[in-house]
Amino acid sequence: MRRLLAAAILAATTLVTTGLTACSAPEPPRAAASSAAPAGPVTLPAPTGGRPVGSTVLHLTDASRPDPWDESMRARELRVTLWYPAEKRGGPPAPYMSPEEAELLLAGSGLAVTRAETLSGTRTHSVRDAGPAGRGLPLVVLSPGFTKPASTLTSLAEDLASRGYAVAAIDHTHESHATTLADGRVAGCLACDFSDDPGFRAGLVQGRAADVSFVLDRLAATYPGLIDLGRTGMAGQSIGGAAAVAAMVADPRVRAGIDLDGTTHARVPARGLSRPFLFLGTPEHVPGGPDHSWDRDWKALTGWRRWLVVAGAEHQTFTDIPLLADAIGLDPLPGMLPAARGAELTRAYVAAFFDLHLRGRRQPLLDGPSPRHPEVTFGPQ
Amino acid sequence: MNAVKIAVRIAVRIGGAGLVLLLAAACTAPAPPRGEAGTPAGTACAPPQGPPEPETPTTIDVVEQAYFCVPGTPELLTAGFAALVRRLNRDGRDLPEAAMPALTGDRAADWAAFETRFRAIGDRLPARREELAAAVLEGMVAALGGHARWERRPRVPPDHHDGDGYGLGLRTSDPALPPLFVTAVDGGPARAAGLRPGDVVESADGEIDAVYPDARPVRLRLLRPDTGRRWSVTLTPGVYPRDPAGLRVVRAELLGDVVHVRMTGFPPGAADRALRAVARLRAGRTAAGVVLDLRGNGGGSSAEATRLLSAFVHGAVTAYLCAPDGACESDWTDDTVALLGLPLVVLVDHGCAAACEHVASAVRDLRAGPLVGTRTAGAVPGASRQVLLRDNTVLSLPTRHHLGPGREVVDGIGVPPDHHVPPTARDAAAGRDLALDRALTLLHQ
Repeated sequence: MRRLLAAAILAATTLVTTGLTACSAPEPPRAAASSAAPAGPVTLPAPTGGRPVGSTVLHLTDASRPDPWDESMRARELRVTLWYPAEKRGGPPAPYMSPEEAELLLAGSGLAVTRAETLSGTRTHSVRDAGPAGRGLPLVVLSPGFTKPASTLTSLAEDLASRGYAVAAIDHTHESHATTLADGRVAGCLACDFSDDPGFRAGLVQGRAADVSFVLDRLAATYPGLIDLGRTGMAGQSIGGAAAVAAMVADPRVRAGIDLDGTTHARVPARGLSRPFLFLGTPEHVPGGPDHSWDRDWKALTGWRRWLVVAGAEHQTFTDIPLLADAIGLDPLPGMLPAARGAELTRAYVAAFFDLHLRGRRQPLLDGPSPRHPEVTFGPQ
Repeated sequence: MNAVKIAVRIAVRIGGAGLVLLLAAACTAPAPPRGEAGTPAGTACAPPQGPPEPETPTTIDVVEQAYFCVPGTPELLTAGFAALVRRLNRDGRDLPEAAMPALTGDRAADWAAFETRFRAIGDRLPARREELAAAVLEGMVAALGGHARWERRPRVPPDHHDGDGYGLGLRTSDPALPPLFVTAVDGGPARAAGLRPGDVVESADGEIDAVYPDARPVRLRLLRPDTGRRWSVTLTPGVYPRDPAGLRVVRAELLGDVVHVRMTGFPPGAADRALRAVARLRAGRTAAGVVLDLRGNGGGSSAEATRLLSAFVHGAVTAYLCAPDGACESDWTDDTVALLGLPLVVLVDHGCAAACEHVASAVRDLRAGPLVGTRTAGAVPGASRQVLLRDNTVLSLPTRHHLGPGREVVDGIGVPPDHHVPPTARDAAAGRDLALDRALTLLHQ
C-alpha cells in the first residue's frame, strides 16, 4: 500500500513537471488503517538561526476586486501567516493547521483522513502571537503549491524568521484544499474546478501577483516599523514559484525571487527582468529538460540569476511534505533525498539568496558548487 | 455499455483563432471488428489505452496500419495518392514516379503496389517522407467521409505561454451569413492593427483562422460601417497573450436576478461546474431563471451534455445513437441529478457543435426552454471507435450516428432556434448582445 502511495506522488510530480498540474492527481488508493504502527505527530526541524520565532495569523480583505474563483464573493479574502523574530523564547508552539484543515487536505490529496489529527498535531517552533523583536526587518513572501495550504512551507518560514526575516506566507483562498477564513468558514479548492482550462495557470499566477501586492500594501500599513518593505523578496513552490515570477513582473517592490521547482507561466516583458532570480529545482528541471518554461524564462532574466538542480530532490522536497510523510502515510520515493537533508538544502540556499540580495551579505554558497552540498549542481550562468 | 454514448473528440478553436484544444472525451470503444479480409496478421486496430504517449513520425507503415483498420475500397488508395500528388504540386515539385499504380481489388496486393510506389517517391525526396506519408493518410481519412478523423496533437509554438492564442487575434461571424464581420478582437496582430468588433471583412486573401505553424500573411479589406472608412491591412499569424479570465470553459455571473452561465465546451466535469456555479449564485436570493449560453461551444463529452440536461428534465431520452442497421440506443437523463427548478433559456449559434447540439436538440424537443440565437453547426459525430496508430496518433471512426429525442437528424442540419436573433456588425460595434437581451426578456415575461 505504501509503495502505491509513493507511486501516486510520483504521478503527481510528473504531471506537475510536464505543466499539467492536476488539481487532484489520479486518485491514489486510500492508505486506510493499513500501516501496522502509525507514526505519531512530527516535530519539524528546529530553525537554524539564532532568534526565537513568533507567528501570527492575519485575515485581510481586498474589497477592490472580487474573488477570482467564487463568483458570489464580491471581495478577495486572504489569510496570511506572519513569522518573525520574537522578543523572547518560551510559550506554547503555534498550531500547524487545524484538524479540519488537515482532514480536508488529506481527503483532497487522496490520503487517509484517519491521519488528520497526526497531521494537525505537527509540532512547530514558533509561538503564536509572541511579541516581535527588531525593526526594519527584510520581508520574504511565501506562496505554496497548488492545493497546498501555506503551512506546508512552515519549516522554511520558521528558519528564515530565526535568521531575522519577517515571513508572510499567503493562503490564496480557494487555491488550497483548506483555508480557514475570518468567520471560521473553511474554504475549499474551488480553483480545482478550473484546473484543466486553457490559461488556468496564467490566470492563477496573475491572481496571486495581485494577492501579493495587496498583502504588501497591508503589511506596510500594519507594521510600518517592524517590516522594511524596501527589502522585500518572494519565494514559492510549484505554482507558488511561478507566482513569484508573476509578482516580480507586476510589482517592483518585490526585489528578488525564488522559484522552487515550479513551471513558470507569467510573461516577462521584452525588456527582461533585471532583479535577482533563483531557479531551484529537481532533476526534472534540468536545462533543456521536459519543461521548456525555465529555458524560455532564463533568457529573459537579465540580472543576477542562478539555475540550481538538486540531485535526488522530488517536487515536494522544498516543502514540509517529505518531513510529514511518515505521519500521513506516504512512502519516500526510491532514491529520494532524506527529508531532513531536503529541508536543510532548501533552507541553506533560500537563506543565502535572500541574505545576498536583501541584506547585501556575500554568499560563497551561491558562487558555485560546494563540497558540503554535493547534491546541488549549477546550471548555465 | 455505459451512459457515455457519443464518443466525441472534437477540436475546439479556443477563441476562434487560437491553439486547438483537443477535448478528449470519455469514450466507449467497443471492441473493434476484425480487419477486413486481407488484413496482414498482426496489424493492430486496438483503441488507445492509458494516457497518450508522445507522437512519433508518421511513416508509410503507419498509413498501412490505418488502411487495414478501415473498411477498404480501391478508392481510398486513389484518394491517398491524389493527396500526395497535390502536396507535391503545391510545392512546385513533381516526379515521374508519382503515377498511380494499377489496382486489382485485392486489398493486400493493392497496398503492396501502393507502398512500392510511395517508397520510390520517398527515395527521391527523403527529407519529406514523413510529410508525404501524413498527406496520404489525411487524404485517405478525408475520403472516408462522415466524421472519420485523424487526430494529432496540435503543435505548439516554442515560446508560448499557458493560454496564449495563435493566429490573427480576431474572431468573426458565421461565414455562411454574410457580411462577414469581426465579433471579437482577442489580441495579437488584429489588436495591433486597431481592428474592432463590427469591422466588416470585405475580402481576405488567406486563412483567417490560421493554425500553427501556418504563418502566411493575410491581407484583409475592411469596412467600418460607423464611419464608412475602407482600408486594407496585412496581418501575419503569430503567438499572442490572451486574457485568462476569458478562457474559462465555464463562467457564471448574475445579471439582475438571472444566472448567466457560459460554457465554451463540455470537458469532463463541466456539467457539475456549471451547476455548482448556479447554486453559489442563487444562494440566498430568488433567481428568475438561467440563461445557458452555449454560443461557440464546440462540444466535448456527451455524458456531460446528458448530465447538464438532467438538471432541467427528468425521465426523458436526450438522444439516440443508431447503428447502420437501424438499431438505436437511448440516452436517458440521469435522474439522480437534482432538478434546478428554474426557467431556462439557451443561447446557441453556428459555433455550437457536437455535444452542444446534443443539448440544443434535447432542449428543443423536450421543451426544456426556448432556444435563442442562430442555427447550430450541424456537426454531430455520433459515436466512434478509436484506433491507436503506431505513431501514437488516433484514428477516430464513426460507428453510430446521432438522432435527437424526436428521432430527427441533427448532423448536417443543425438545430434551428425558436427565436432567431442573428448578430449584426452594428450591434457588435456597439457592444450590444441582442440574443442575450432577448433571453432576459423571455425570462421576465
